[in-house]
Amino acid sequence: MTKNAELAKPGEYKPLDLLATAAAREVKNGDIVFAGTGLPMLAIMLAKLTHAPEAVCIYEAGTIDGRPIHLPTSVGDARNEYQAAVAAGLNEVFAQLQRGLVDVAFLGGAEIDRYGNVNTTAVGRYTPAPEKRLTGGGGNPDINSLAKRTVFIMVQEKRRFKERVDYITSPGWRIPKWPSGELVPKQEVYGKFFRGGPSAVITNMGVFRFDENGEIYLDTVHPGFTPEQVKENCSFDLNISRVRGETLPPGRREIELLYTVIDPEGVFLA
Amino acid sequence: MAKPEKVTLQEAIRLIPDGSTITFGGFTIWRRPMAAVYEMVRQGKQDLHLVEVNGGTHTEVLIGAGCVKIWESCWVGHELYGKLGACLDRFARSGKVIVEDYSHVHMLYRMLAGSMGLPYLPTYASLGTDILNPEYDNLGRFGLRNGSHPKIPKKKYEIVRDIFSGNELIHVPAVNPDWCIVLAQMVGEEGTVRVKGQKYSDVEAIRASEKVIVIAEQIVPEEYLRRDPDLNLVPPYLVDYLVELPWAGHPTGCQGMYEVDGQFIKNFYEKSKTQEMFDSWAQEWIFGVGDHYGYLEKIGVRQLEDLRANQVLGYSTRMRRGSR
Repeated sequence: MTKNAELAKPGEYKPLDLLATAAAREVKNGDIVFAGTGLPMLAIMLAKLTHAPEAVCIYEAGTIDGRPIHLPTSVGDARNEYQAAVAAGLNEVFAQLQRGLVDVAFLGGAEIDRYGNVNTTAVGRYTPAPEKRLTGGGGNPDINSLAKRTVFIMVQEKRRFKERVDYITSPGWRIPKWPSGELVPKQEVYGKFFRGGPSAVITNMGVFRFDENGEIYLDTVHPGFTPEQVKENCSFDLNISRVRGETLPPGRREIELLYTVIDPEGVFLA
Repeated sequence: MAKPEKVTLQEAIRLIPDGSTITFGGFTIWRRPMAAVYEMVRQGKQDLHLVEVNGGTHTEVLIGAGCVKIWESCWVGHELYGKLGACLDRFARSGKVIVEDYSHVHMLYRMLAGSMGLPYLPTYASLGTDILNPEYDNLGRFGLRNGSHPKIPKKKYEIVRDIFSGNELIHVPAVNPDWCIVLAQMVGEEGTVRVKGQKYSDVEAIRASEKVIVIAEQIVPEEYLRRDPDLNLVPPYLVDYLVELPWAGHPTGCQGMYEVDGQFIKNFYEKSKTQEMFDSWAQEWIFGVGDHYGYLEKIGVRQLEDLRANQVLGYSTRMRRGSR
């Protein structure tokens, strides 16, 4: 077996491999993880096979702590149920979420603002009729509301990293307080039910985190990119003063696990 | 004890009046009663009001065919096989379908409240989002919250103070759909329903609804299901009509029976991007095949056998899923 200490060199891995490994590294051993369809599934499976064997995965459709031997293609997939502790339903898993049991969750989004507010509902005008509808929120806003930490996996584009997203589907660190809609710190709205919020955003160019004021900054830049290039792919004035260096590339063993154990069929990793 | 009436699919769907409020069992592209959805399209249902915990391929078929007037839910798409609901996008933009956006927890709790006979349920989920933006209350904007529509609550939600903690809290209104259509792997001759695998939000949808149609992949001796009552979902008196129909969920997946037909859904998603392409798809796969068995014959034995679940694992191991 390849040792993970050996890091892959540029050209030896694909962008998706780096995204999956960077996401997996956000999981701590013993975490209760809420994961959605796609890359998050690769990330949690990779984390469990490497540094976080005690992590437990909950899927939105109702499966708890499955041990799939074939990669599920979505959260409703029967593959999630293989050797699961419980196959319940939405009420069970959302109750656990609201109860405060979820440590980390992986989410996606079409647009994000500097406070980590995310849009998955519609782009452009919302009323009187939406210009372009997306999937809608699903559980994204619920999970982002009530998990201790959330990690967003997104595509880095200027039109997606915006000063103000067109529709706040999922609440970040400064959120509208209704009925006025004034943006206030999340703690003010959630009160005693405040548990945390977005802790990282991982894109194809870098890893972002949030400062004491809930504002996004670039933490590490992926090999092959400069912080300035990342900044150019944001519509807002991105803080690049705190960049720690390059994102750790995938280990050779992590790549081997991704292609031979986790997704040998090439469902997500073509 | 009332028992469900055994009817054909056509008879069951004929009972649903235009303008009904409808919900479905299943989850996104899993265990959706697709045969019933196709039959609704064949019978030309109009002005349906869908209230769904989440949507999926079935939602898109109904919207594309022009059957839907209002859609209240939180998500529509085809998971890996189609990134969004192209029909909903088109119909919402043109104003033909009114969309009310909630979160997943909101929709679940609306159904749960309905299933418990309560007027509403509280939650903290999705505070501080545009879901609660007063200007984005679409049914309100269209004047439909005036109390004259029995299935439309007077308010989308209410932000209240938790009387114990003083914290901000959302109340979401209960929903009691006129009809619920559920696909189950197994139903007893008297109507006890057993669902294998994840339960999604089926029990909430069934209990909340006024009338329930269950499509059974197979009807089995009632005595068999009553040997293990802990494995059953609902008793016979919660089911009004029972239809036995194999492969009734295709192209969605049915745990222990068959796999999601990803290529079929992918193709549908591509065709759903324009109305013209949708119409010819519907002609080919809904009207042209005549009925459910015509549909299955068109799909073909080879494809159905590839989709058939391994009886030990509960999913197909013969289907090619990825690039390798």
